[in-house]
Amino acid sequence: MKTTLQRACLAALLFTLGCNSTPAPATTPPVTTPPVDAGAVVTRPPEVTPTPVTEIPGHEVLAQDRTPKEPPRLMPAETLIRSYISLFGGLSPQALQVRLRGATSDNLFDTWGDYLSALGVPDYAVDIPRAPQTNALMLAAFERIGVALCERAVQNDLRGAVATNDRVLFRFELPAGGRALTDEEFGARFDVLHRRILGYPAALAPESRIPRFRALYQGAVTRHADAGARSFNGPEAGWASVCEGLVRHPEFHLY
Amino acid sequence: MDTRRRTFLKVLGGAAGAGIASQPLFRAFADPPVASDEFFVLIHASGGWDVTLSLDPRNERRGIIEPGSTDTIDTAPIRLWRDAPLDADSSTFEILRPSGSSLRFGPAIGALAEMPDRLTVINGLAMNTVSHPDGTFFAATGRHLAGGKPVAASIDTMLANEFGRESLLPTVSVGYPSTYVGDDLDARVSPLRVSSVDTLSKMLNRGNVNTTAADRLAVTAMLTEEARDLAARSWYRDEIEGFGLQLQALPRMLSPDVQSIFNATSLAAAQPTFFPTPAKRFQARAGVNCAFAVEAMKRNLVRCVSFSSASHDTHSNNYRSQPLIQQELFDTIAALVRALDAAPHPTRMGRRLADHTHIMVVSDFCRTPQINLTLGRDHYPNGSALVISPKFVGNTSFGRADDDQMLPANAGTFADGARAVAPPDLLATFVSAFGVNPRKYLRDGDVIRSLLRA
Amino acid sequence: MRWIHAMSAVALLGAVTAAARPADASPTREQYRLFRALSIDLQGRIPLPDEIAAFERPGFDLDAWIDQHLQGAAYAERLRRVYLDALRLEVGSMFNFVSNPLVLRRVRVIDPDGNPAYVYFRRAQRRDRVESDLDFCLSPEETGITVAANGTLTGTAHPIDRAAWNQRTVEVRPWWLYRDYRSASPSQRISAGDGSAMTLSPVAGLLMDADNTTPTTTVRVCREEAQTADRGAVYLSGRLTALPRTEPYPGGRVTAPPTDSAYARAHAGQMVSCTSGTGVSLSDDCGCGVGLERCMPGNSLGNDPAAFNLPDNVPLGADQPLDSRAQTQGDWSRFWWAQEAVHFLDDLFVRDRDVRGLLTDRGTMVNGATAQFYRGFAGSTCCGNGTQFDYAEPAALFDPARVPTDLTPHDLATWRRVDDRGPQAAGLLTTPIFLAKYGTRRARAHIVYNAFLCRQFVAENLALTPSTEPNLMVRPGCAACHAALEPLSAYFTRVTESGWTFLPPAAFPALNPACATRGGNSPNGGCTSFYDPAFGSSAQGMLRGAYGSLAHADEGPPGLARAIVDAPEFASCVVKNVSESFLGRSLTAEDQPLQESLVTSLRSGGFRMRSMVRALLRADAYRAANNLASATWREGATP
Repeated sequence: MKTTLQRACLAALLFTLGCNSTPAPATTPPVTTPPVDAGAVVTRPPEVTPTPVTEIPGHEVLAQDRTPKEPPRLMPAETLIRSYISLFGGLSPQALQVRLRGATSDNLFDTWGDYLSALGVPDYAVDIPRAPQTNALMLAAFERIGVALCERAVQNDLRGAVATNDRVLFRFELPAGGRALTDEEFGARFDVLHRRILGYPAALAPESRIPRFRALYQGAVTRHADAGARSFNGPEAGWASVCEGLVRHPEFHLY
Repeated sequence: MDTRRRTFLKVLGGAAGAGIASQPLFRAFADPPVASDEFFVLIHASGGWDVTLSLDPRNERRGIIEPGSTDTIDTAPIRLWRDAPLDADSSTFEILRPSGSSLRFGPAIGALAEMPDRLTVINGLAMNTVSHPDGTFFAATGRHLAGGKPVAASIDTMLANEFGRESLLPTVSVGYPSTYVGDDLDARVSPLRVSSVDTLSKMLNRGNVNTTAADRLAVTAMLTEEARDLAARSWYRDEIEGFGLQLQALPRMLSPDVQSIFNATSLAAAQPTFFPTPAKRFQARAGVNCAFAVEAMKRNLVRCVSFSSASHDTHSNNYRSQPLIQQELFDTIAALVRALDAAPHPTRMGRRLADHTHIMVVSDFCRTPQINLTLGRDHYPNGSALVISPKFVGNTSFGRADDDQMLPANAGTFADGARAVAPPDLLATFVSAFGVNPRKYLRDGDVIRSLLRA
Repeated sequence: MRWIHAMSAVALLGAVTAAARPADASPTREQYRLFRALSIDLQGRIPLPDEIAAFERPGFDLDAWIDQHLQGAAYAERLRRVYLDALRLEVGSMFNFVSNPLVLRRVRVIDPDGNPAYVYFRRAQRRDRVESDLDFCLSPEETGITVAANGTLTGTAHPIDRAAWNQRTVEVRPWWLYRDYRSASPSQRISAGDGSAMTLSPVAGLLMDADNTTPTTTVRVCREEAQTADRGAVYLSGRLTALPRTEPYPGGRVTAPPTDSAYARAHAGQMVSCTSGTGVSLSDDCGCGVGLERCMPGNSLGNDPAAFNLPDNVPLGADQPLDSRAQTQGDWSRFWWAQEAVHFLDDLFVRDRDVRGLLTDRGTMVNGATAQFYRGFAGSTCCGNGTQFDYAEPAALFDPARVPTDLTPHDLATWRRVDDRGPQAAGLLTTPIFLAKYGTRRARAHIVYNAFLCRQFVAENLALTPSTEPNLMVRPGCAACHAALEPLSAYFTRVTESGWTFLPPAAFPALNPACATRGGNSPNGGCTSFYDPAFGSSAQGMLRGAYGSLAHADEGPPGLARAIVDAPEFASCVVKNVSESFLGRSLTAEDQPLQESLVTSLRSGGFRMRSMVRALLRADAYRAANNLASATWREGATP
């Protein structure tokens, strides 16, 4: 968000450089002369003659960014909860809560009510306002919920006998026999999740996106190579981590 | 500034290349982090307290002042209430004058009456408002609301920004009017706003059956890199950078050591004095928050704990409970002081937490000197505050409200002339006690040097 | 250098227009970003896979998609959030709504057969027996137990004499157990309910008899409470003076039997409404109505006893609660007051009504619970000292005769619009949630000033010097704010503070000779409840709050509504609030052209939000905005 200080600096810089952007439209703002007290001494500041940017050396070939800039907004907490719910197939909040809690020994989820204040939901009854920005506790809540969502989705989609198109998140098949994925195979599957969660193809993301998530996936696979009966196996842990990385991503929460 | 000028400057920014990164030229650079051994507890006595019963005692009918009496107050649970004659049918209270102290208190002061040497009382605060939200944020930020929104950082955010950037939990705000507004605020000090401390433990719970802490750490590390890269690509970096910094704090937050301080059972075991049986009728939550504050500070996990107390907003015959609400709060604060006396400082050998912990208690405003038609008191644009700090001169009172109408009276000559003391002055004095230039955060307010120890 | 020339050529075209892309081109990243932002704002969630797939198809018309989504529940919720964040229309338990004429508490006694049994009663009930008038209908001597005012029981219960049992109590099939409670023989006993806000869900204690094993089919209630008449005759007990405390009270009661008030003596035998608190306190004919519909059940003797299971948290709407727990009868009322505001706002935005209706609309939305409140509960707080002005029957802000009679408390999910609550109604300003949330006249005026004109009363550093001037509009230091605030507050002169009782001009003229100060003394006690001695004279008293403007006092909340919506700042404030919410930041001087165009759009669209929101979503500030640094953009990232 632009601030007063930022604008002051902008104004000062503009004044100093005596520059202007591309030629202004034809309209000229009216000149108004403030009333002058006969006894007062008035000094007019020096005139600044606008210079078209095209006359400044180097500018004729330099690209100009005229796109309006806006800081990212934090997704409202209600929208966030509804988005979580939509990621898990659109159950009712209480039904989803039951699914996420699952076996209590998992310790994956408590209740939605336990997380509301950390997520920034306002409480009008006691005049607690909506949280306008993130904080560490909110991110802890994002992690708590993200882990629950992704692990349950893995259990439902990758462990259960659910048809691909009926899965909540992981609408792709894994290679038979647990064969390691090639980069291309990973990329195709990652794109499914990336589109689902962040809303656009992974190919349009910054270049580092896919390799980072690939490394994340592979790290989890390696750590779970000798997983016990209850723990996720390598691919399951890998995809749970990828899912978690997307659901906790700044691009998910900021828009 | 019109769009054309904005466009040009971005071009210039890019052209300068090496000299100026492609980011807003105006971005304020954060001050280097300051290590600190000081801790802060900020308490908002919500709803507007009746200071005639405690910090600015009035037991005479004078002007428009109607003192609290046995007609309007349940005096039985007020330990320090001693009847004083008022009229034929009712009694008011005797004013307390602690031994060896020039301070005067009403009976609701509770156990704080036993430690006048630690207390700095400010009376006659010019609140200039009787609106709850406005008074609340004026007390916490030094600025009135504008358009219903706060326009400055709250005192806990100021302190966290100065001294808490390296803390795991710079500010934990339990219902306190914390605001994160301003140009020079580090993203790490965005207040952790919670409804209650003991529910936080659920946020920090993690299962380890399917995936492990190592898996989650890997995700966090990756996301931290993503946030850094996104910020580098961004025109407005603050939100994303803040996200990244908060991600970095996450692993520490999830350590067992931290989780235990957010658990009511653990807190009760560690600080039983804050969990009396029977529980306090009104201020039980204040006890939990104070227990949390002590335990978190002992572990050097938090820099600032701020919370709001139970409401003092007694407009009708619930005014009968007003002194008990205050007594419970002040008893809790006294217990906090004693707990801090007993707790070792986490980083300063041989020092107590009390030597480096600073407590400030304020309210929205106070209550009318008159009793209203429903036997309560309404809002009034006067205020009082309490500071308990080694940096402040104890056994001291500053400012006053007049004798007949309890309006803020001239407290001295400030930079803008003789006037009453106001919340910006209190906040300016408080931050300057720690070497912070108040003008960094506060548009208004003078430093009252006489309140500070040399 | 070639790429620089290419880039500058692109740059000279200015920002990429996010909405329009060539038919055969895939969306750019920023176009995906925009679609996601629109989904978040207009659908309240991220886009679904099939929605993204549709977006990606050639020829996708984003503008048409936007138009399609500028309606419906999610769109309404988006706008509702703007106003609820500003007005915060919920109240917690700090707003204590425990009205004795309303609350049925219950006592555990021993019936004639020696079994435990519950008997429901209300503390405000008049009875023609001195042993029980304004108390439990069975005396301590009859039950063996004493019911104290604070809800404690003392003594040892013994079986009640059968004749007394049958004489003093009756069995009723109440509204909270029977859907068809209005029929002659109710039979549709409800099941336990799911604890949501969509079905009536009494707490477990209300569903079981005193043995905790037998499902309750009928409740036993004191006979007087079971009466169904809408009106009753003023009762005279004949007791003119309080019984001395030196003698035991009849029947072993611990509180003194009430005496006949001056009003009762003056109006003995006259008919009063059983829906007003005053009526209940005057007539032993007044009961809780058919099926006890005019009363709220409670499962104990507590001050605010538990009654129904309700959600605690409904951030996604009452139809998608996150939880449910046993809540009190006061919580019930507070919950549904808040829901009325939610549905009022939703209805306005879904139907794209004139946004000025937020303040001026005489209509509202009601469901079964709020209908029950308006029909039977709202009047319970009237009329106190108003009887001294012959005001015993409330003139309601929402005329009960206009409340749909077919909506029962079971119709929680049925919301229906009432087009006209009556002449005193004014949008949100006369809803119970607004009047409870903002209890004082000044608080009400202040929030309206702030939320709908975007203006604030800020006293800054004014000095408040002691003064005896009661008129805050001229008092030094106070005048800066109160010169404007008092006239605004005066619009609420005729609505009691912390309540919704209306003070009609006929009973409460703004200037009342009957409440003149007499020889410099304050008028009688009843007058000071309503008339401010500080502004009275030897000729007449002035209604509290009216000194700011007598004209405003008589115009009431509808007058304030008109004044606010007619103010030049109203439209720009609407634009400001909505724009800042959608843009996620405060508007600045640079947004002036946008703000002006949106104000024009709002006004030219008849103050309907949809056209203004559409214009906002098409503005560059929303559509073409991005957060990419210029260097990133030049490196080839798609802006």
